[in-house]
Amino acid sequence: MKKLLFFLLILCIHKTVAQNKQVLYNFAELPQTQLLNPAAETNYKYYVGIPLLSGFSTDIGSTGLVLTDLFARDNININDKIASAFNKLTTQDFVKINTQLEVFSGGYRLNDKINLSFGFYEEVDGIGYYAKDVYDLYSQGNSAHLNRSFSVSQIQYKLDVLGVLHFGISKKVDEKLTIGGRFKIYSASLNLESNNNAGTFTTVEGANNLYTHYFNSINATFRTSGLVNAETDRYNKDIDEYVKNTFLAGNLGLGFDAGFTYKVSPQLEFSGSILDLGFVSYSKNVKTTNVEGDFVFEGVNFLFGDDNVNYWGEIDERFNEELPRTDNQDTYISWRPTKLNAAVKYSFGQRRSKVCYDNRYKDFYTDAIGVQLFSVFRPLRPQLALTAFYEKSLSNKIHTKFTYTVDDISYANLGAGLSMQLGKVNFYGMFDNILSYKNLSSSNSVSLQLGINLIFN
Amino acid sequence: MRFSKLIYFILSFFVFTSCAESLDFNQLDDYVVKPVLTSSLTYFKVSPIQFFDENGVQQNSREDITDFIVFENSFFRKNVVKMVFNAEFKNEFDRDAMIQVDFLDANNIAIYSFAPIIVESGDVDPPPYEEDIVIATNPNILSATKVRFRAFLEDTGTQMNPLDTSEFEFKSSVTLFVESDF
Repeated sequence: MKKLLFFLLILCIHKTVAQNKQVLYNFAELPQTQLLNPAAETNYKYYVGIPLLSGFSTDIGSTGLVLTDLFARDNININDKIASAFNKLTTQDFVKINTQLEVFSGGYRLNDKINLSFGFYEEVDGIGYYAKDVYDLYSQGNSAHLNRSFSVSQIQYKLDVLGVLHFGISKKVDEKLTIGGRFKIYSASLNLESNNNAGTFTTVEGANNLYTHYFNSINATFRTSGLVNAETDRYNKDIDEYVKNTFLAGNLGLGFDAGFTYKVSPQLEFSGSILDLGFVSYSKNVKTTNVEGDFVFEGVNFLFGDDNVNYWGEIDERFNEELPRTDNQDTYISWRPTKLNAAVKYSFGQRRSKVCYDNRYKDFYTDAIGVQLFSVFRPLRPQLALTAFYEKSLSNKIHTKFTYTVDDISYANLGAGLSMQLGKVNFYGMFDNILSYKNLSSSNSVSLQLGINLIFN
Repeated sequence: MRFSKLIYFILSFFVFTSCAESLDFNQLDDYVVKPVLTSSLTYFKVSPIQFFDENGVQQNSREDITDFIVFENSFFRKNVVKMVFNAEFKNEFDRDAMIQVDFLDANNIAIYSFAPIIVESGDVDPPPYEEDIVIATNPNILSATKVRFRAFLEDTGTQMNPLDTSEFEFKSSVTLFVESDF
């Protein structure tokens, strides 16, 4: 718990990030690609995901800091290591985590044009930006930082724990165009977030006293839902309740995905999608704390009068009036992080045939190259990832994909994926940033997706 | 065969090549943050008339008390290792002045007193005063809940002119040296 709190401290805070699944996107006609583009092409009659095993993905990453910077067994004092490591960080650096677990999923093709899919997955999603000023004030104090304005605006974080029930449909408009959409119901059990904060704390040499302390234009809001029991005002430590509330018993929200696939020719294809255009309305066990105002403190001004003046009481009263802290349990809306995917894919190589639904045959090429663009919107700036990929089908049942991605975390992110069909059983596994696997402790990012489906033609 | 070898290679790659350098998270137990926090404390500016009572008789001492809430906070009470009291002053009066600073407990009993601060008459730029209090050698300071400031005027045998505009000015701050594990 102590170590978790430490990480939460340095996380200091921002908007939710979503996992970029560049290897999975548009790969091998896997059912799970429809979660990244509801218009992704598939050619099975129906499929059933193995419950709890059909889709597991995780993505943990940080910029500017790796575990060995802090925890390597190198006989260097931990205080020196933390100071050195944090000194390199900027307010643009962040730590993120995104983990999804498919509880169940399935899909069914109604006819040649219409394909349906549905499922439910659990998601933990969080990101926090490094609040340098807050950390410096915490670790060094204000004494060595006269005239420095410690900014509250650097506090930006978000953490969500939620379940997502979804239903998708895709329609083949013609031989070239396929469109798709997905309706989502979110059930969130936990939300912690703070952003759009403002204000500074500054200590300067004073006129009336040695120093004057300024709290200028402070406006900071800290929202939680699910963390603090509204009746007892105590932290909720019941893990079972968090899990239970993700199954439509928590704070509900709605969202949509939409996408398209357009085949310019049998070999050239464009595709794109927008995901999680939606929100969650948090109303259960809400506790929102707001601090707003200005306050100037010069110390206690002795008057040496005959009356017993309660100096500190007056300052405390003025502080509470001018920089009030308020708590409320009002419902609030939290937007899901909307993501964009776009890709162009050129197929080439040997042309082969495979059996699809209704015993139809479909031609495909054994090789493909292309590029993909991923973006997730955040208030500070959108995060972008650009991927070049190469796909190779080793047979009708075995497909591979290799990616090279440039993103905020790495300029040398290599990924690889494999999809195998053994009878009705489909297994897929994808690993991103594979160069980091030689020493995970020194990695800025680890990302993988695994799953097993039963696919029926 | 060629394909199966490639598949085997991909699957085995992560199983057999991935590793993680041994880490020691228990190092966090040795992590100590050492912030140094400075805050203004008290200040005042007095003129001769403030030493006269309602009968026009000069009083040679004045005092005032304020709460000192630092050690009401358990974090500071547990983790402050040293306090430094700084003061600056000037004395435009025609007589010496002395400032006595006492930390009082909840019963108004002095539990820590500074050495008297004496400012000679007409000294408008005396060296600043500094008092270091190491908590380990003065643990009773943790019981302090109030600070009393007393100003004494030298008894020269003559009263000051109550209309005199000269001033005695005093400014102070306190710096807390904190050492806290996470």
